[in-house]
Amino acid sequence: MKKLLYILALSVAFASCKKEELNLTPFNQIETASAFTTQTDVTLAINGMYTGLRTNNYVNGTWNIVADALADNLIISSLGRQTLTAFGDWRYTADNTFGLFGQGYGIVRRANAILENIDAFPAGAFKDNAKGEALALRAMIYFDMARVYSKTFENAGATDSTLSYITTTDAKILPTKEAVKGFYGKIIADLAAALPLVATSNGVGRFNKAAVAGLLSRAYLYTGDFANCITAANTALGGSPVLPNIADFPKIWTDDTNNGVLLKVLNTTLDNINAQGVNYFQIVGGLVKSEYVVEYNLSKLFLNNDVRTSSYIQVSPFNGVNQNHVVKYRSRSGAGVAGVVDAKVLRTAEVLLNRAEAYQRSGNNVAALADLNLLKANRYTGFTNLVGLTGAPLLAEILAERRLELAFEGDRFWDLKRRNLPVARDAQWGDRADGTGVKYIFTSLPAGDYRFQLPYPSTEVNFNTGFKQNPGY
Amino acid sequence: MMRKLFMMLLCIMLAATQLTAQNRTVTGKVTDADGKSVPGASVQVKGTKLGTSANDEGVYSISVPATAKTLVVSAVGLLEQEVRIVFGSPLNVTLAPGDKSLDEVVVVGYQSVKKKDLNGAVAVVNSKELAQKPISNFTQLLQGKSTGLQVVGASGQPGTTGFIRIRGTGSINASSEPLIMIDGIAVTSTAFGLINPNDIENVTVLKDASAAAIYGSRAGNGVIVVTTKSGKAGQAQIRYSFQRGFVSLQELPNVRLMDSKEKLSWEYAAGLVNPIIDSMINNRKASGALPATATLFNLSDDQRNGLWDLATSRGAGDWKNFYLQNASTESHEISISGATDKMKYFFSVNKFDEVGLVYKSTRDRVGARFNMEYKANDWLTTGINASTAYVKEYQNRELFNSQAPWTAYFLTNPYEPVYLPNGNYNLTFQGFSALEGQDLNTFFNNNLSTFATAFAEGKFFKHLTVKSQLALNYNTLLTESYLQPGSNLAAILGYNSKTDGGNQDFQYVFTNTANWTQSFKNKHNVSFLAGQEFTKRNFYSYALEGRGFPTPTVNTIDNASLAQRATTSRSQWSIISYFGSASYDFNRKYGVKFSGRRDGSSRFGVNNRFANFWAASAWWNAKNEDFFANVSFLSDLKVRGSIGTAGNVPNQFYGSLGTYALNTAYNNLPAAVPAQIANPDLTWEKNKNWDIGVDFGFLSNRITGTFDYYNRVTNDLLYPQPLSLATGFGSVLSNIGTLRNKGFELSLSGDIVRTRDLKWNVSVSYTNNQNKVESLISDNVPSGNTRLKIGQPLNTFFLVRWAGINPANGKNQYLKADNTVTETYSLSDAVLLEGKTPLAKFYGSVNSSLTYKSFDLSLQFYYTGGNYTYNNQYQNNLADGGNTSVGFRPQYADAFNYWKKAGDIAQFPSLTDPTQKQNLATDKYLEKGDYVTLRDVVISYNLAESIVRKARLSGVRFYVQGTNLWLKTKFHGLPEVGVSNRENGQPVQPGLNNLYAYPSSKAVTVGLDIRF
Repeated sequence: MKKLLYILALSVAFASCKKEELNLTPFNQIETASAFTTQTDVTLAINGMYTGLRTNNYVNGTWNIVADALADNLIISSLGRQTLTAFGDWRYTADNTFGLFGQGYGIVRRANAILENIDAFPAGAFKDNAKGEALALRAMIYFDMARVYSKTFENAGATDSTLSYITTTDAKILPTKEAVKGFYGKIIADLAAALPLVATSNGVGRFNKAAVAGLLSRAYLYTGDFANCITAANTALGGSPVLPNIADFPKIWTDDTNNGVLLKVLNTTLDNINAQGVNYFQIVGGLVKSEYVVEYNLSKLFLNNDVRTSSYIQVSPFNGVNQNHVVKYRSRSGAGVAGVVDAKVLRTAEVLLNRAEAYQRSGNNVAALADLNLLKANRYTGFTNLVGLTGAPLLAEILAERRLELAFEGDRFWDLKRRNLPVARDAQWGDRADGTGVKYIFTSLPAGDYRFQLPYPSTEVNFNTGFKQNPGY
Repeated sequence: MMRKLFMMLLCIMLAATQLTAQNRTVTGKVTDADGKSVPGASVQVKGTKLGTSANDEGVYSISVPATAKTLVVSAVGLLEQEVRIVFGSPLNVTLAPGDKSLDEVVVVGYQSVKKKDLNGAVAVVNSKELAQKPISNFTQLLQGKSTGLQVVGASGQPGTTGFIRIRGTGSINASSEPLIMIDGIAVTSTAFGLINPNDIENVTVLKDASAAAIYGSRAGNGVIVVTTKSGKAGQAQIRYSFQRGFVSLQELPNVRLMDSKEKLSWEYAAGLVNPIIDSMINNRKASGALPATATLFNLSDDQRNGLWDLATSRGAGDWKNFYLQNASTESHEISISGATDKMKYFFSVNKFDEVGLVYKSTRDRVGARFNMEYKANDWLTTGINASTAYVKEYQNRELFNSQAPWTAYFLTNPYEPVYLPNGNYNLTFQGFSALEGQDLNTFFNNNLSTFATAFAEGKFFKHLTVKSQLALNYNTLLTESYLQPGSNLAAILGYNSKTDGGNQDFQYVFTNTANWTQSFKNKHNVSFLAGQEFTKRNFYSYALEGRGFPTPTVNTIDNASLAQRATTSRSQWSIISYFGSASYDFNRKYGVKFSGRRDGSSRFGVNNRFANFWAASAWWNAKNEDFFANVSFLSDLKVRGSIGTAGNVPNQFYGSLGTYALNTAYNNLPAAVPAQIANPDLTWEKNKNWDIGVDFGFLSNRITGTFDYYNRVTNDLLYPQPLSLATGFGSVLSNIGTLRNKGFELSLSGDIVRTRDLKWNVSVSYTNNQNKVESLISDNVPSGNTRLKIGQPLNTFFLVRWAGINPANGKNQYLKADNTVTETYSLSDAVLLEGKTPLAKFYGSVNSSLTYKSFDLSLQFYYTGGNYTYNNQYQNNLADGGNTSVGFRPQYADAFNYWKKAGDIAQFPSLTDPTQKQNLATDKYLEKGDYVTLRDVVISYNLAESIVRKARLSGVRFYVQGTNLWLKTKFHGLPEVGVSNRENGQPVQPGLNNLYAYPSSKAVTVGLDIRF
């Protein structure tokens, strides 16, 4: 009898084992099918879209140094850890290229998911704003991806191609490349569509009308559409642009002011992303130990009465050797953690420089000079307005100011490429503050060289064989 | 399904009827080969439960049915013998000395089987081969213990788990590790890392499908079944073991670090200055001792040598003296075991303390075990195996920068001082003192692991055993990482912090089996097994961080002034299984076995939740045939073959679902981001094996051996199906591709001398494995420095080929893809280096065991080869001709082999050519990983019995053991490479490259074993 009981108990145990035990789901994720049910879900997805911008090859990551290291703003420090040398030496390959391709499309997918699902929500400000933010963000990332991997609008021919402007979340797509010109057209169309939709007061950490208009001015400048560039810049800057003034300028870099900043990607103390600072240096033994330092000629262009000089550059010794360290991303003020600052994605100063250049290149020297003087007056102590400057000297002055204003901010290489100029590094100066030290090994990238277009990752071109690699790789 | 099986079993039970007949008595005496009586010998009527034991004089008396034909006589340490019953005269039996291990019972496929009845490709490793070694993780101890079983140590870190591969690498993205079962529960590496190797009775390695298929969906990479000790019949045995090891660094073969003056002269030749010499010159310029124009390069030889001597005298010299420490192992263990009619028990407590080679490294383990089996009545047995172990270790940083002491050893110059004049640590050119880092930025791991396997087993109708078992495993890990206020790293980061992290891992397995075993007419032996199992694992982890600690001495997070984000996470998986097997043999001559399993797993897509696995095997024991009976030189010959399937699950618990993740935030507000693309078809990786083997013995088994040939194909590889990156995802986990491993295994053992006083056995083993990617979704897939190429082994290296230094100008030369020579390095000239992969092509061991009277000497050599490792460490220490950065200049003396003048045939380019000062990856640093090592040598002495008796003890053994005392290789550095370094994470393939992983040690260990 006891034995029978034993067997009975076992049989019960057998029967108690159900297939439902196999239906297990994660504790920190929801299934995609239920990700866009409520308005709250959309808000979560919008926040998710902005977190995407913090990927390690974008604005909170290496974006603020790569374009400077690729060009002539920086020289590698012989006392550093020898980071990012593939870029400084122009030795990138399809196996070892800038990672924004995959990361950029990852961000695009987040925007596309919002755009695919937003139509199910009732019309109104919430829906418009969500749509506007997604369109603008998608256009911004596409613009930067195109700058990395393709010729720019003005130096591309009809047959030159760029990425595919994906607007779907379909996972089965095998896209091919598009013509550069049409691609810029889609960027501008998205931004123009976003402009009336997006709100004016989403906070500096999200897109606002002014930020979208500022991006439009950048896109129009690249496409050579100066009239539209000026219009967009006017919308972005308003009547009296805050640049800000000399007293407030250093506060931009310690996140003590949002004056002069149109769009930031926020990086809170809890987020603790220190890459912007660590790209340039670490504090070791109380001293700044740089990866890259300011190129000697450029350091001489930063004058003593320029507020940017002390905000951007510090001369100090490491291992007993003085170097020009880039301290633009040092930390927030007070108890700020080294390298942890918000990413300044778009500033009024850039929009003003876009407009000045557009004025000059469309023949309006007076308005161009006024914009240049406005910027300089907010940067140089004791500045007196330049007068009578026109033509090529004026344009050169605007572009020189652009290099100084946007130095170490991820602009220089793309800007040289936009203007179809070579990278010409000065072989005679080294990595020390006095110009001695270890010099450049690679000094020249001729205008139009294939290496101005970084290679697409081999993972894409090997698998998606319809997607052709850039020439030269 | 299960109900039907049960009905069937019940029918079989009813059909079996007990015979009753008249009994008669048989008596006799049992003796051994020397004529000594064998007290306690077991005498049983074959095929029945009837049995008795011999008395103290070896005399037995048993009442047997008239129908009984055969008695089975056995005793510990002697060969079991069957004798035909002859009534009327005394039946005396002489038992030959036997390989007692053949009678040992091992657990294979949910059944207990005597070793001699194992008919598959199964290896058994006995406790003797694992116990009392100065290595605390049993996986590393398995190296060289069986053919077809490859173990590569991850690194030399105390307690580290090795990489185990059974018959090659069978997966690309899922785990290639075998399933490890300890007393009935499949466990994680953390849990088995805490098992005390001395508690292990035996380890069976199931290599072919016939043995593994019944373990189903997780057995595709083979199965290792670990059984812990139980008590043996007889008086309680109390045992104390002590061991102390003296541990030192295993020298790096074929490399030498520059001494101080060598390094300074190399820098001088390269036209480089360094801050120490710089400041000496500047000081002398300031004092006027040197002219204002002085530089290192215009000093006289005497002046320069003077500076160099001064720097050398202030420098650390050999940094080994600082970054390493006196290492040791020490263990104490007490065990008590025994058995009575009713009960078997094994009890042990143990303590194993290690001081690691690297500064500050320690690992202390304390554990206890109680295994008990109780016969509740004549049909019911219950038991429990329970153990718990706690490990606390200080873990060094192990990464490629100077925070790691072992890395710093190669990055710090011999002329740099250890301390500053003020007594503080010198941060060196690295800007960081690894010594200060280990002192002030502490990292402790605390692991607690408990196992309990409880069972009840009922015997019914003579032939049926029904067993129900619940196995539990609970592990916790607590890590405490403290970045002290005032430490250098806190200054670099701008904050001090403490992070407590950890996890809890609970797993249970509920197993129910019914096993019917019966012999008909002593010729037809059948066995049926049916079972069901449910496994569930829960995992929970957390991480808490606080910053802003006021002083170094308080380090609980409530002292932090600034809380950081706290996280927890949770995950689960479960498996439901049904399995069965049936075997039949005829008169131990021929046998067949079938087994199958049906598994359902939570890790798979709804469309493919369940899968079936099966195996069939057959064997022929030729020696039992009449026509071989008279072939006297042949003592054993068995041929066997098997075919079957087993599976492998993905590492991801929720790999089939399409999801949005919510564990992220923007502006400290919650956010949702796409996390994974759905694949509802996701299913098992399917492993299909066949194996053919032969076991043989000659001259009364004086020479024995085994040969196996196997072919193992993995289909439906768990592999990330690439997506266009334009989707925002790189891949979705799918089942695509095929991988093949085939090879052969040979082991031979011979008793060269077999006399009473002197015994000498030598055995060798050899395993050859060939790996090949048969198909993949896309060909030539990049994977670091390697490619996955169809038709080639996994991870075939893909590198630019170095073509020597141009003797004319001292520049590096490379081969372009079209084999022409160029001086321009381009990654697009990289080519597939066919046949060069991190996978070993062969490995094995040579063992010698010599016993003379009370002395034992055993040696184990281990060898492996055919694999290639990218020698990153060698490259970094040569900097391929020079690195201008002060912290990364070469340290190996081989760097002097640079090009000096036209016509030089050199290894490295000119030091003065700036275009050559680049550290580039080429096959110059791809090196063969072949080596042979004397892994283990033991000399032991058993104290004479007369002395032992006087001391009222039952045995005393002394031994001296050497580990890794000798190594031969052409590799520059230690050739056994697992991970590149711990913080770099799991490598794409073990042995892919080396980059300052914790160094290996050699040790001399003395031990004492007392049995009371």
